[in-house]
Amino acid sequence: MTGQFDYYAILGVKKDASIDEIKEAFITLRTKIPKANQNPNKNKKYKRILNAFEVLSDAQRRSIYDSLLVETDETSLEVKIQSSRQQIPLTDSPQLIYLLIDLIPPSQQATQKVEQLPLNLCLVIDRSTSMKGERLDHVKNAVDMIVEKMTTQDILSIISFSDRAEVVVPSESVQDKMAIRSKVRSVFPSGGTEIFQGLNAGYKEMIQHDLKGYTNHLILLTDGHTYGDAPQCLELAEKAAQNNIGFSAFGIGAEWNDKFLDELVSPSGGQSGFIESPENVIEFLQEKIKGLGQLYGKNFCLINEFPKSVKIENAFKLQPFAQPIDSNNKTIKLGDIEERAPMSILLELRIEAQPIETRINIPFSFDGIIPKQSSQTRVLKKSYQIMVMLDPISEKPPEDIVSAVRNLSMYRMNEKVQEEIEAGNVDMATTRMRYLSTRLLQAGEAQLAHQAHNEAERIANMGTLSDEGKKRLKYGTRALLAQTSSLESHD
Amino acid sequence: MIKCNECKAPNIEGSLFCSECGAFIVDFDPNSTAVLPFSEIIHRAPPPPLETEALTISQGIQKITIVIPSSRHRMQLNVSGQIRVGRSDPETGLFPELDLTKFEGAERGVSRLHATIQSFENGISIIDLNSTNGTLLNMYKLPPEEPYPLSDGDEIRFGDLLMHIFFD
Repeated sequence: MTGQFDYYAILGVKKDASIDEIKEAFITLRTKIPKANQNPNKNKKYKRILNAFEVLSDAQRRSIYDSLLVETDETSLEVKIQSSRQQIPLTDSPQLIYLLIDLIPPSQQATQKVEQLPLNLCLVIDRSTSMKGERLDHVKNAVDMIVEKMTTQDILSIISFSDRAEVVVPSESVQDKMAIRSKVRSVFPSGGTEIFQGLNAGYKEMIQHDLKGYTNHLILLTDGHTYGDAPQCLELAEKAAQNNIGFSAFGIGAEWNDKFLDELVSPSGGQSGFIESPENVIEFLQEKIKGLGQLYGKNFCLINEFPKSVKIENAFKLQPFAQPIDSNNKTIKLGDIEERAPMSILLELRIEAQPIETRINIPFSFDGIIPKQSSQTRVLKKSYQIMVMLDPISEKPPEDIVSAVRNLSMYRMNEKVQEEIEAGNVDMATTRMRYLSTRLLQAGEAQLAHQAHNEAERIANMGTLSDEGKKRLKYGTRALLAQTSSLESHD
Repeated sequence: MIKCNECKAPNIEGSLFCSECGAFIVDFDPNSTAVLPFSEIIHRAPPPPLETEALTISQGIQKITIVIPSSRHRMQLNVSGQIRVGRSDPETGLFPELDLTKFEGAERGVSRLHATIQSFENGISIIDLNSTNGTLLNMYKLPPEEPYPLSDGDEIRFGDLLMHIFFD
């Protein structure tokens, strides 16, 4: 926004100026213009000042103006919203609408290259008996790789846990890489899995530093169920998120609790994943660390200020990685925005019955920290409007939305199968799993389709899924969601 | 509520994929055949085949006249060959002899290849080609893929598009 429409520049005030500052600026500018010339119809300069003042001094008009600024401010995050339908018909029953929201960081060229915040990273490694052999070996190799990538600016701590936790490497800057490696080599598998012990020890290490100056992230690697301490873990994840610490969790093998890991990373908008075979540990962590090292924005949230007639039925992050989003609270945690990749969110909205023609205004308010600009939380506003009409134009929904919703629908079918099995509806689960197999085949996912087919037969015969099949299908269909975003990263 | 074409499950308005079977449930192709709500309700028995004598009357018919009341249109067609009834589809090179596109064919549920009308030894017959919304002859739904004799003045509905047929 430049020239005569940049009201803030015209008055010479900051974007966050108070109403008093705006009034003062206006009065100062006005006194510079002789009284005789203070006629907006004749004096263009005066008209501009007056316009700017009229808009910025009115809270409502100012907020509308600010929401327009978001789109055009080149140095700021761009918010792009696409919808499955822009016009919806009058109905006496609820209807659905899908929105695809992209938060796009300004391109590399537009911003100066600024040093990234250093990392404050904590690795929490399961060393229970089941990790013995290949699993722990690969984890150790992965840690070597991470240590190699870190600089002396970064902070690293490493915790190993079984029934209790040990601090393998205390939280300090990465100086002596050799020493760190040899400490990690000495981790020996034995005992059970109590995840809270590990997380708590990791959290305590991390908060020894001033968290504001770092990208803080804790990565949990586990291969088993935790017993009895899940609520404590979730509480800690919540506390950590409030303190700017992100959680990611990766399960190795097939015996861990996928729902628990999803919940654990949800408060900070982190990532949970399935590492099918131990040799893939390096790959997963490499990808994760790469993303953490290139953050544009931290701790982004969507504040749900939607009108009562609009409800979020489902929220899913598609980029930078596919992850379900907990949309039950007013503040919806989206997580971090990477420098080179936009964040994409798919929302399924339920619109209540609309008996009369109207315009539904859906306000979007995103907040988060953009470390390069300020350590304060920034708020971006944008609104989206849906027209309710007697005779709406029937439009083809955008390809991106169709493909994202297709993938979401397959992911959800798999979730439903789980629920049906748990509820004992074997026949329904079998039928649905067969449908899913067909859909996967139609989508060109032959391997997953084959898996679904096998699992359908297994459900029909034994009333249950295999552990591997369950995880492969869940994370396989979830991964499809990450492929749907239209926006290429700007590499 | 909208109904899934594949598994018939009801889905909330605005859904893109069936919540039960995952099929794409919204067809946004403007050229596609509308699925009419009544097409499933009518399951009445087909008309009895006409007596042979009645058919012989229509022997040797060369031309028929089609009247479409909704657009007040009248046209004459030659029945020496086969008359395909449907909507033209340039993509697949389908140009039926009786092209109902401009009579709101798509909206009224006429399939691209809906039916054929042709003369046979005893008269003129109509065959529904397994169309989406079916063909009604004098308000009787024709079974698909089976020839039925036509008589002078018959009322035919292709989907929801009504027409009368007269022998010249």
